[in-house]
This record gives sequence, C-alpha cells and structure tokens, in this order.
Amino acid sequence: MITTSRIVFRPVQPDDYLRLYEIESDPSTAMTWRYRGDLPPLQEYEPALWRQTQQIMVVEGRESGTVVGYLQLHDVDLRAGHGWFSLYSGPEHRGSGLVMEGLMAFCEWAFGNWPIRWLYAHSFEHNVHAFESGLRRGEAVRLGVLRERMVVGGALTDVHVIGIEREHWLASPLRRRFNTLRARFT
Amino acid sequence: MADVDPRWWRFSRDGLEPSHLLETASGVAAGVIVFDEGQQPVACAMLADAGASGTATLEFFSLPDPAAQALARRYAPDLVVAAFDGAPIRRLYVERFSGDPDLLGDLADLFEIEVRYPDFTQIDGHYEDRTIAVLTAERFQEWREGLRR
Repeated sequence: MITTSRIVFRPVQPDDYLRLYEIESDPSTAMTWRYRGDLPPLQEYEPALWRQTQQIMVVEGRESGTVVGYLQLHDVDLRAGHGWFSLYSGPEHRGSGLVMEGLMAFCEWAFGNWPIRWLYAHSFEHNVHAFESGLRRGEAVRLGVLRERMVVGGALTDVHVIGIEREHWLASPLRRRFNTLRARFT
Repeated sequence: MADVDPRWWRFSRDGLEPSHLLETASGVAAGVIVFDEGQQPVACAMLADAGASGTATLEFFSLPDPAAQALARRYAPDLVVAAFDGAPIRRLYVERFSGDPDLLGDLADLFEIEVRYPDFTQIDGHYEDRTIAVLTAERFQEWREGLRR
C-alpha cells in the first residue's frame, strides 16, 4: 500500500469489483483497448478482469474514501523483462489528477516488486492527453502511433503506444518529489 | 519441454503450454505453408488478429536457412495479395525483431514502421528492438497497379 496526501494505492479486494465494473461501464470508457466495447455482464466480470492479469491496484481518494480508479498490470513477460498496464479513471474524477498520482504509485510499486525493464500501455487518441505531461518531462516515451488502428464510436482512431523505462523512472525528479511527499504520510 | 524459436514471438513467448497455444491459435484467421521442391515445409504465413476494425497482422516465419528464406521471399507478394483479397483489411501489420531475416523482399519497402520497442527482448544473448510496421490497402493497391503497367 502507498499513501500520499490525496490517495491510497492498494491491491484490489473482491468488494471493489462492483465499483470497478461501474467505472468500466461508463460509456466514455466502455471502448477500452481491453474489452473494445464488449464489456462482459457483471456475473462474468471477475474472470474477464483477471484474464492475462498479474495484479490490480486501486486508487482510493483519501477525502472521499471511494475508489476513483484502478491500474492493472498485465501480460508480464519475465523473460523479456516487460509488462503492460491499463489505467482507468471514474468519469467524475477525470482531470482531478488522482489516478495519475496513482500511476506514479504504480510505477514505484511495479518497478520495486517486479523484475521488469519496461512498462507499456496503449492509449486511444482521445485519452492520450493524460500522458502528455509525463511525455514532456521524459518519464514516459511515445514508442509510436498506430494510425487509424481502431474503430471507436464508429470513427477510426489512432492508438498511441506509451513506454515507461525502469531506469528513467528511478532517476526521474518526479519520482524523487513523489517519494518526498509520500514520506510525510507513511 | 521443447522450445520455439524466440523470433517466432507470437508462439514462443508462452512456450508450448497447451492453454496458451490454443488461445494463440484462436487468433489466427488463415494460414498457408510454403513447401520446397522436395515437398518439405520451409515457411508458413498466418493472418492473425483480423478484426472488425479492418486490421490484421501477417505472421511470416521460415526455417533458419538461406534456401528457405529465399523461397519465403519469392512467395511473399502472393501471400500479401491473398491477405488483402481474402479479408476486408485496411491496414496489414508485420511485427519483427531487428535481427530477423528479411522474408518480404521488395515488399518490405512498402511497410512503414509505426512503433518501435527498444531492446524488447534478448535473442541469442543480446537485446533486439521490435517494430510494428504497416502496409495500407491503398499503398498496396498502388503497388499492384504499378506491376500491371
């Protein structure tokens, strides 16, 4: 568990599944890379949620005490030394920065607990702005863009491939600031 | 346990564990095998991940010897024609490691790299990049029309 002034970052519990399902059922997130608009019914959600998944970590807002989003580590390949992550934010918390703070906690947790060199993520064009500050600062890199890769809401959309390299994360000023602030709450 | 050539990434990444193999195979829409003059299989091509978005990935492997690779290159245009003619594909992807042998021949120049994963995995003791390159239906059509002229 990682605690900051605004969030608690912790492993998912079965009690959280309904909330995770609510987040993924929102029309603006339903067309995710993972389900591609085909979110299973609630009774089939748990096995679908954990498919190819090593761990799910939720981001809880300290003020509200509710799960504001979650991050999923999936398709880890220990031989190659990389894994993928997905990031979901409740629609009412987008823009608050809470889940992106969760992403910092996630990097700290993933690189601290898994022998992986790279974390990768797919992001639709309409969501990639969430990564832009990290791309500008250099904690994340854009490995490429798959042009017109998917159909979302009847329109073709680009898919960005984002990478976070272990060594860059460990050496980043952002990580130092994050851990300095975090130390005040642990 | 038997190993799969690590360059055959789609099939080697999870080894030969049956449930993974079945899942991988379920993503394959069509496949062909290239035989040499002695009727021995030397290369195979598969169309994978073909979906509603009009995209698919061409997986193309050969035995690791120059004769097999030359045969694969000779038939590459026919395989790509079959992919575009046999399925409603807008964009055909090819993924490869930086040290993979060239199996596409002249066709390789038609593919445009869209994603590069640096130092993706180790093969034969050293890291290699992996790329995803795309050939659009329009670009392929232009190439075909150029052949007819």
